[in-house]
Amino acid sequence: MIISFATCGLIGKTGKVSLWQPFFAIVLLWAAMALFKTLPNHNILATRVANMFGLHFWWWTLLISSLLGGFVAAISGYCGYHFRKAVLGKKNKV
Amino acid sequence: MRNKIKASICIIIPLLLAFSLDTKFGDLPPLLKFLNPFTGFWQNAEKVSIRKTEKLKLKGTIETVDVEFDDRMIPHIFAKNDHDVYFAQGYITAMHRLWQMDFQTRYAAGRLSEVVGKKAIELDRYQRRMGMVYGAENSLKGMMGDPKSSAMLNAYTDGINAYIHSLSKAQYPLEYKLLDFSPEDWTPLKCALLLKQMSAVLAMGSTEFYMTNILKKFGPEITADLFPDYPFREDPIIPAGTKWNFKPLPIPQPPAMFSNMTTANISTKILEEGIGSNNWAISGAKTASGYPILANDPHLNLTLPSIWYQIQLHAPGLNAYGVSLPGAPGITIGFNEKIAWGVTNVAADVLDYYQIEFKDSSHQQYKYNNQWKNTSARLETIKIRGSRNEVDTVIYTHHGPVVYFRKPKKLAMADNVPTGNALRWIAHEKSNELMTFYYLNRGKNYEDYRKALTYYTAPAQNFVFASVNNDIAITANGKFPLKWKDQGKFILDGTDPKNDWQGWIPSDQNPTVKNPERNFVSSANQSSTDKSYPYYINWEFSPYERGKRINDKLKVMTKATADSIRIMQSDSYSIFAENLLPALIAKVDPAQLNATQKEALNLMGKWDKFYAANAVGASVFELWSKRLFYDIWDDEFTIAKIPMRYPSRDRTVELILKDPGSKWFDNVNTPAQENLKDLVNEAFKYTCDSLERKFGPIGTTWAWANVKQTHVPHLANIPGFGSKPLMIGGGKSTIDALSESNGPSWRMVIELGKTPKGHGVYPGGQSGNPGSPFYDNMINTWADGKLYDLYLMSSPDDKKDKIISHLTISK
Repeated sequence: MIISFATCGLIGKTGKVSLWQPFFAIVLLWAAMALFKTLPNHNILATRVANMFGLHFWWWTLLISSLLGGFVAAISGYCGYHFRKAVLGKKNKV
Repeated sequence: MRNKIKASICIIIPLLLAFSLDTKFGDLPPLLKFLNPFTGFWQNAEKVSIRKTEKLKLKGTIETVDVEFDDRMIPHIFAKNDHDVYFAQGYITAMHRLWQMDFQTRYAAGRLSEVVGKKAIELDRYQRRMGMVYGAENSLKGMMGDPKSSAMLNAYTDGINAYIHSLSKAQYPLEYKLLDFSPEDWTPLKCALLLKQMSAVLAMGSTEFYMTNILKKFGPEITADLFPDYPFREDPIIPAGTKWNFKPLPIPQPPAMFSNMTTANISTKILEEGIGSNNWAISGAKTASGYPILANDPHLNLTLPSIWYQIQLHAPGLNAYGVSLPGAPGITIGFNEKIAWGVTNVAADVLDYYQIEFKDSSHQQYKYNNQWKNTSARLETIKIRGSRNEVDTVIYTHHGPVVYFRKPKKLAMADNVPTGNALRWIAHEKSNELMTFYYLNRGKNYEDYRKALTYYTAPAQNFVFASVNNDIAITANGKFPLKWKDQGKFILDGTDPKNDWQGWIPSDQNPTVKNPERNFVSSANQSSTDKSYPYYINWEFSPYERGKRINDKLKVMTKATADSIRIMQSDSYSIFAENLLPALIAKVDPAQLNATQKEALNLMGKWDKFYAANAVGASVFELWSKRLFYDIWDDEFTIAKIPMRYPSRDRTVELILKDPGSKWFDNVNTPAQENLKDLVNEAFKYTCDSLERKFGPIGTTWAWANVKQTHVPHLANIPGFGSKPLMIGGGKSTIDALSESNGPSWRMVIELGKTPKGHGVYPGGQSGNPGSPFYDNMINTWADGKLYDLYLMSSPDDKKDKIISHLTISK
């Protein structure tokens, strides 16, 4: 989250890029890591956690995890970008 | 200015998001933390394939320790000294069960509010006011007072802590992530707390408040008639007629009857039937091998992770296998090369309430022996998550803590406590149960068994024993207070010294029998002895039916093998139905029944009285008898503000069979005069109608397994982490005493011999991690009534083909 905020705050080109790039980056990263953990486990745990949330299939937990991670990263990136804009804008005025 | 606002918004939004997703709200886990694949639950997904060899360096060990994990992930620990074997036991148990150990001891210590916040505050107060921590501290003094047990306890504690300190946050057990807390260092006090919790489960039931109310309402004559001191039918643990070869101590004299009770608004929990157990041992004369066979199945609440953890401990002078309680060193139920042992609950009367007369409302002094005696105060500081600490003051008399001056409204388990009464409970005594297991684990013969038992205080257990020397024995064992007959059947007057516990029954005079003529010993929580035993242990025990069935089967058994014993452990024949059903069927009037009811009656006539999974008869009989007992007793024994209990099953059966014209069959709430026949018919129709409403037309959906819905829930009832419903038979009054989620928590059969052969299973798995393939892998074998072979290895190289992983721990 902090990384996403800082990165986009420093090098984010446009608002859109700062929103979607961290989103996809984290979705991919989290999904990959989750798969790396769950596949050798034959999805035993992911299925139990899905059941805990009232869902029937293990991949729901994968979907929810990576989307939530991506969402938070996206918002942070977007806010980071606009934070820079705001701060720079302020400087310009001075 | 606008930019300033914009910049702050850009900071506030991510911060808010971070806070809201990383904080636990109510029962919802901190979502982002929990779902993060780098730190959250995904990290608990264990690989199904197991690493074959692993090496660990732990400073706490003295010499190298080898741990072999077999194909069910059961550790076989080979150490070169006592310290290392218990250190490794602590380390390995924590590796598989850390959260369970932590949670159970926090529960026992009244520290759940620290984790879940205010909602557990009444439960925490209850645990502390019952003196759980006070009792654990006293026990700990006993354990630390002996060099052997203190060394054992310290090594075990250090092993657990070595594991805790090795963990990163990502490696915390799953439940820590769900409930959002961290493991804390283990202490020897936690071991003591765990053993107190066993006492709370097995020896905290009491009915004296009900009994006192009954005495006040119905008078001594009816009370004695309906609540007799010895059952109508019994088959005691120590065979009737066994001679007592000791000179008993003089029995204390009871005081004049005390009836000035203020017990209104009191209700109590009755020790639930099902919290009981079976064990037995048969001598070589009855087995195919010529050596004894010993069996044990303790009935407890079934949970995942399981209450038991299988382990083999090997060190010089020690080679034992069995189940341990995660959080206590040593093996509780098991065997070694020479002996085998098991336990069932005695249910002795070791919990009494004393009505206290305080001088004034400051509660600083109370009357005792016509003098004013000072109380003491114990301050209990309860930490509460998200709130300020609470300090609860508990007043102690010489009897024990005054549990409540004002009772909590919303805690069902506290309904059992009479206000203003002091609690005298065996679990508050200084004790050292660990030594019993220390010596049993190393035991070689009958003498070692008898010596081990002398160290045991509570919860009192029927210790069954068999040895390769062809000795079998059973002892109702624990520290039993020396009481006058029925002392503690009713609430006691705390001002009269005659009501105090007057010392102890000498441990060598506890009921015991060795090599009885019938060539077997057994127990199923029924009366310890016949009426000739000189001391008072309790006025009421579990009903006799399970014990009777066990004894009936063992009497006729010859050339027994492990398999015949295994099948017997899953026997679901109901002696209760055998005794009662013919009398009930004879009273049903078929002319008054509808089609469903007629079909049900027809099935009842054909039912073989086995609580089999597909038996419709079992469903009908279970509900029918329950409703009938309700019809008989509820009108007299359920009165608002005067909580009472029903007379026992044994007494009710006696009344139905021997006194069908009894006045108790009339419903006092109706003008009409009802008789037994009316009640039997009402109960039968009610049963059929309610089964039809819930399960549809009579047929396979009425099958006992479908009605009973046995399952194994998660210890903290987390949905998705328990087992699915298991379609299996068994019933509370049968040997296979399996109800909805209570029953045989460990089944063990040991064939003694030149090399002993062990067989066993519990409904769970070795790992407490829901993300492990070993979390629930033994449930199906257990449900099928089968057992696994238990590998008592003689060296790390023994039975190599069964070993899936090898761990070396070195300094």
